[in-house]
Amino acid sequence: MHYPGRARILLFAAFAVLFVVTPSNGQTKARPTSQVPRMPDGKPNFTGLWQAMGTANWDIRDHSSQPGPFFQLGAIGAMPAGQGIVEGGEIPYTPAASAQQKENFKNRMKLDPEVKCYMPGIPRANYMPFPFQITQSQRDIAFAYEFATSNRVVNMGKFKAGPVDTWMGTSNGHWEGDTLVVDVTGLNGNSWFDRSGNFQTDTTHIVERFTLSDADHINYEATIEDKEIYTRPWKISTVLYRRKEKNVQLNEFKCVEYVEELIYGDLKKK
Amino acid sequence: MKYPCLVPVAAVVAGVAMFALAAGPVLGQSAPPKSKASPAAKTWTQPKTPWGDPDLQGTWTSDDCIGTPMNRPANFGDRLYYTEQELADRQDRLKTQLQTDLVETVASGQRVGTGPPAHWAERARRPCRQTSLVIDPPNGKTPDLTAEAKTRRIPEGAGNNNPKADSWEDFSYYIRCISRGVPGSIFPVIYGNGQQIVQAPGFVTIMQEMVHEARVIPLDGRPHASPNIRSYMGDPRGRWEGNTLVVETTNFLGNRNGLVGNGGGTPFSDAMKFTERFTRLGPDEIAYKITIDDPKTYASPFTVGFPLTQEPGYQNFEYACHEGNYAMFDSLSGARAQEKRAAEAAAKKK
Repeated sequence: MHYPGRARILLFAAFAVLFVVTPSNGQTKARPTSQVPRMPDGKPNFTGLWQAMGTANWDIRDHSSQPGPFFQLGAIGAMPAGQGIVEGGEIPYTPAASAQQKENFKNRMKLDPEVKCYMPGIPRANYMPFPFQITQSQRDIAFAYEFATSNRVVNMGKFKAGPVDTWMGTSNGHWEGDTLVVDVTGLNGNSWFDRSGNFQTDTTHIVERFTLSDADHINYEATIEDKEIYTRPWKISTVLYRRKEKNVQLNEFKCVEYVEELIYGDLKKK
Repeated sequence: MKYPCLVPVAAVVAGVAMFALAAGPVLGQSAPPKSKASPAAKTWTQPKTPWGDPDLQGTWTSDDCIGTPMNRPANFGDRLYYTEQELADRQDRLKTQLQTDLVETVASGQRVGTGPPAHWAERARRPCRQTSLVIDPPNGKTPDLTAEAKTRRIPEGAGNNNPKADSWEDFSYYIRCISRGVPGSIFPVIYGNGQQIVQAPGFVTIMQEMVHEARVIPLDGRPHASPNIRSYMGDPRGRWEGNTLVVETTNFLGNRNGLVGNGGGTPFSDAMKFTERFTRLGPDEIAYKITIDDPKTYASPFTVGFPLTQEPGYQNFEYACHEGNYAMFDSLSGARAQEKRAAEAAAKKK
C-alpha cells in the first residue's frame, strides 16, 4: 500500500502512541495483562471451568467432513470438517507408526478408548467436547474433567516421578513467568489423541504450556516426544475458553453405564 | 490404595473383615476427643490460605477407623468412646495384625481362599477411639428403614463367591466401577480411603481415590442446580462456619448407592440430603461428620463421624477401575460357562 507523506507521519505517530500507552507490554498486545486474574502472590489464576472448541477430538490434523461409521446416526454421527491443532499439519510418525495409526482408524469403534468410556489421557482430556474444572491453590493445581470423571493433580512442589504408569499420567508443574508448564510422564500408552487413531505409547513424554491471554482464554500448547514412534518432537496448540454461562458448573458424566452392553453384552444370560 | 482393579477381591476382604468384626475384637482406631497430635494441639492454630480461607489442604484418609462398625454393639449402650484399657487392648491387636501382615506366603497345607493376603489391606495406624461410626443418635444405631426402603433391591456387593451373574446389572455400582457415592467414597474400608483436598479462591475440590471422583464444591453461595440434573455424587454447595467447611449435597439420582461398605447396602433415595462438616483439629487431623437426612429411606436424620488423618507417605493412586474390570468379564463369562456345562450334563442324562 502506498501512503502519501503526511499520512505516513500520522501512521508513525499512531504507532508511537500505542507503544507509549502500553509500555509494560512492550509488544503490540491488544489486551493489558491486568485483565488476567491473579492469585495473591501474583501468579495467574487459572481457577474456573474451561472447554475447547473445534474438532480436534475427531482428528487433531486438518480434516474434511466425513460420514460417521454408523448410518443410523445420520448427521449426528458424521464428522465435521476442521482445522487441525498440529503445528505444521503433520504428525512425524515413523513408517511403522503411520501404518499403525491407519489400522487404528479402521478399527476405531473397537479400539478408541473414548468409545469404552476409558480415561482419555493427556492431552486429549483438554480438548474433548466436555468442560473441565481447574482448582488452583497456592501450591498444587487440580484438573477435574467431566468425561468419565477423570482427573489429575499437578504437583507444583519438588519433582515426583509417578509410582506406576497410569491413564492420566504423572503431572509435575512449574512456572515460567506467567506460563504454567506441566511435564507429563508415566503415561500407560493406551490413550489416543483423537477419534482418528492418532496414538501414543508408554514412553511418550508431554510438556504442556498454559498461558492466559486474558481473563477468559488460555493459549494451550503441548510438545510431544517419543522416539519409539515419532521421528522428532512435535507440537499442538489450541485455545481453551472459559465457560461464562450464569452458574455454569462441572456436571457428572459417568459413562460406564452407557458402555456395559457394548463391552459385556455377549456375556449376558440369554 | 495400593492395588487397582481388584474390586471383587476388595469386596471379599471387606466381607472377611466384617466377619472378623462380628466374631471378635476389631482393629479399631479412633476419633479421639483430643487431636491425634495432642501435644502440638495446644499451640496449633488453623492455618489460612493466602486468600483468607481456613486451609484444609493435604491428602487425608479415614484408615484409622477401618473395622469400626457402623452400628454400635449393644454392650456399649450409649458409650461412644472406648475406655483407656479397651484402647490399650486394641493397640495390642493392631500390633499383632501388623505382624501377621508381614507373612507373605501361605503355610503349607493351609486352604487358600479367594481373598488376597492380609498385607494387601490398609491398616489403622492407631486404634479408633469410637465404638461405632454412628455418633448420633446417642445409641449409635442407624434409624429404622421405611417400609418402602426395605423393598428396594440391593445389588450383589462384595464377599459373595457365588453371585447371581445374569447381567452386570446384578452387581453393585462399585463392582461395576461406577461409583461408591458420597459416603462410600470417604467411609473407612480396607483400602482406597484417600481424600486430597485442593482449595482455590471460591472453590474446595476433594479428589477421592475411589472411584477417581472429584467433588468440585463452589463456595459462592449459588443455588443448587435444577432438580432435573441428578447424579451419583450429587450437587455440592459449600460455606465456611468459622473454621469448619460445611457442604450440603442434594440432587442424587437415588436408588443407586447405600451407606454400607463401598457404597453398598440399601440404596438411599433421590430425596437424600447430606450435610458434611470438615473441622481441622491439628496439623494432621480433621474431624469429619456427615448428617444423613433422607425421609424416604430413614425414620429420622442421623450423623456419622470419624477422624481423617494425614499420614507420612500416603497418597492417592489412580484407581482405573472400569479400564481393568476383568472381574466383571470373568464373573459373567464364568456364569455362562457353568450354565453351558450344566446344560450339557442335563442333555447327556436324557
